[in-house]
Amino acid sequence: MPGKLTIARLWRSTFGLVVLVALGFAAATVAIGSVAFTITHEALEKQLDHRIEVETAALLAEAHEDGFHGLAEAIARREAARSTASPDYLLLDSKGKRVAGGIVARSVIEAGYDEFFGYTRGKDRVVAQALTTPVPGGTLIVAADRAGLYEIDRILGGLFSGALITVLVVGTGAAALVGLITRRRLARIDRTAQAIIRGDFAQRVARDASGSEFDNLAATLNHMLDRIAGLLDNLRQVSSDVAHDLRTPLTRLYNRLDRAMLATGQGRTDEIEAARAEAAELLDIFAALLRIAEIEGMAERLPRTDFNLSALAEQMAETYRPDAEASGHKLKTEIAPGIHMSGDRRLLSQAMANLLDNALRHTPVGTTITLSVQPDERQVSIQVSDDGPGSGDPDSDRLFQRFARAEGSRSSEGHGLGLALVSAVASAHGGSARLDGSEGFQVTLSLPKLR
Amino acid sequence: MRLLIVEDDAETNAFVKQGLIQAGHVVVASTDGRDGLFQATSGEFDAIVVDRMLPGLDGLSLVKALRAASNATPVLMLTAIGGITDRVEGLNAGADDYLIKPFAFSELAARLNALGRRPAARAEPNRLAVGDIVVDLDRRSVERAGRRIALQPREFALLAELMRNPRKVMTRTMLLERVWDFDFDPKTSIVETHLSRLRSKLNAGFEEDAIETVRGAGYMIRGE
Repeated sequence: MPGKLTIARLWRSTFGLVVLVALGFAAATVAIGSVAFTITHEALEKQLDHRIEVETAALLAEAHEDGFHGLAEAIARREAARSTASPDYLLLDSKGKRVAGGIVARSVIEAGYDEFFGYTRGKDRVVAQALTTPVPGGTLIVAADRAGLYEIDRILGGLFSGALITVLVVGTGAAALVGLITRRRLARIDRTAQAIIRGDFAQRVARDASGSEFDNLAATLNHMLDRIAGLLDNLRQVSSDVAHDLRTPLTRLYNRLDRAMLATGQGRTDEIEAARAEAAELLDIFAALLRIAEIEGMAERLPRTDFNLSALAEQMAETYRPDAEASGHKLKTEIAPGIHMSGDRRLLSQAMANLLDNALRHTPVGTTITLSVQPDERQVSIQVSDDGPGSGDPDSDRLFQRFARAEGSRSSEGHGLGLALVSAVASAHGGSARLDGSEGFQVTLSLPKLR
Repeated sequence: MRLLIVEDDAETNAFVKQGLIQAGHVVVASTDGRDGLFQATSGEFDAIVVDRMLPGLDGLSLVKALRAASNATPVLMLTAIGGITDRVEGLNAGADDYLIKPFAFSELAARLNALGRRPAARAEPNRLAVGDIVVDLDRRSVERAGRRIALQPREFALLAELMRNPRKVMTRTMLLERVWDFDFDPKTSIVETHLSRLRSKLNAGFEEDAIETVRGAGYMIRGE
């Protein structure tokens, strides 16, 4: 129900929440106050009842032997020694005429307790608790003034009203303050978000280093924004790289087809062959790009099976050894036996294949290439290293980016996508890829061990 | 062979149809999943080519429906470039082979040849014999004209795959998939290198080349 002020709506705003809490405290104050008030009131009434009961018994005992007359005398003695705290007495004879005591009854006289017995003492009109006892020859009334009780009631009532007002004032004040502070802090985040929406992606939420929930939230949001900015940069980079790197083969394709149009006979067939090869190369680039993107996107839902990594690595070495020997390289293995892991076998074979392909294509004749698979306590390392000249590139990790190529390999074939795929495969398996091109060239995949 | 093509892209459909007719096959073409399923269940085909993305009924559902109706016609599924999980999904749905678009026509032809007239599923024999070559899969031994030939494990697997498909062209990608379990194309010429090693071991001391290279298509074990 939009527009309508319901408890549920109130609950959702900070201000409303604090108001509700203040109201809750007020209600609790009222409840505690009334309970305390009632208990005190009842206890005091009981105490008065007890007092007049004891007094009545004392009078009766005192006058026991002297009868009605003795009772009158006892009352007279008490009246004589009267103080403000003393109870009042009234002794009536059987005709209802006052025999002793300093008061005149205004209420109807009935045997037993009366909580609100009205009488007059001198000029004072008094409401008292009274015990009326029939005695031989008349009626005895002992009454205790309720004024003291009313006084205590008044003080208690005053105390609790004061407390209630304080709770309400402080509560509402707190509500306004908390609401204001919260809104102010959220406004900072809101301003940043608005600025980003308007296109200023460099904006970040201001921090106050207080370690408060808001500060932590700001930190988290900034972290998220950094991550998104990184992804956007990457995307921008990739898009421009793709456009740039496809221009060359596309131009070559265009030129080939141009020449094919002019050529005749075998020359034409050759040009078409070549154009076809260019198109195939373009498709290869696209396939590699799509595959990398797919692997990067599948970290969570990577199809995993348990397999023997050592056996797979041996098989890769065996597969590449003939080519290595044919091209004058040496292929060595340092594979620890019996290592199992959970992951996508084909993706890992492709990662190893890419590394071995790279090593074979970019190192001179006579280079020794080593494929090693070694476990430590927490992870498994798959490493392809060579003792060739290295990449001669201090910023080696750059080579994991799409289309990045080492300075020395610019002229040789390849598109700089192989290592990007290796890195994506490592990440998809919850691991990472490292690169060192200073002495020889070595790439290490660190993958979590099978649990 | 009598072949059915279910492909909604008019150009691919026409290109495949024309090529297969030129290769001497009888071809029925359909451009819609539902119609394709109807054709597949009502006619007798030696193999069916199905695109994964189709209007009406997608390729996966078509193959599932076909298999649910106990139709065992071999199916070659065409998938778009790049899908890693596509292959597994296609094979799980009941397709017999898959091919990534765009493809060379020779690749499609070779795969259809390998698929069609494939003998009904049976236990794999432990002994393969083509021409004068005998491969014992249990003992992992190879003989040519009674002479023992020692092979490396990959070379053996390569020869066994060629022997399983006598007189059929095996393309480079088919061999990569079946012998190496690679669903990617390595930059290094591992197929060529292994084949040349296998060939030199098989041919040592013999006049005739045991393996025929079909230019632009692939390799084939030479029968008698």
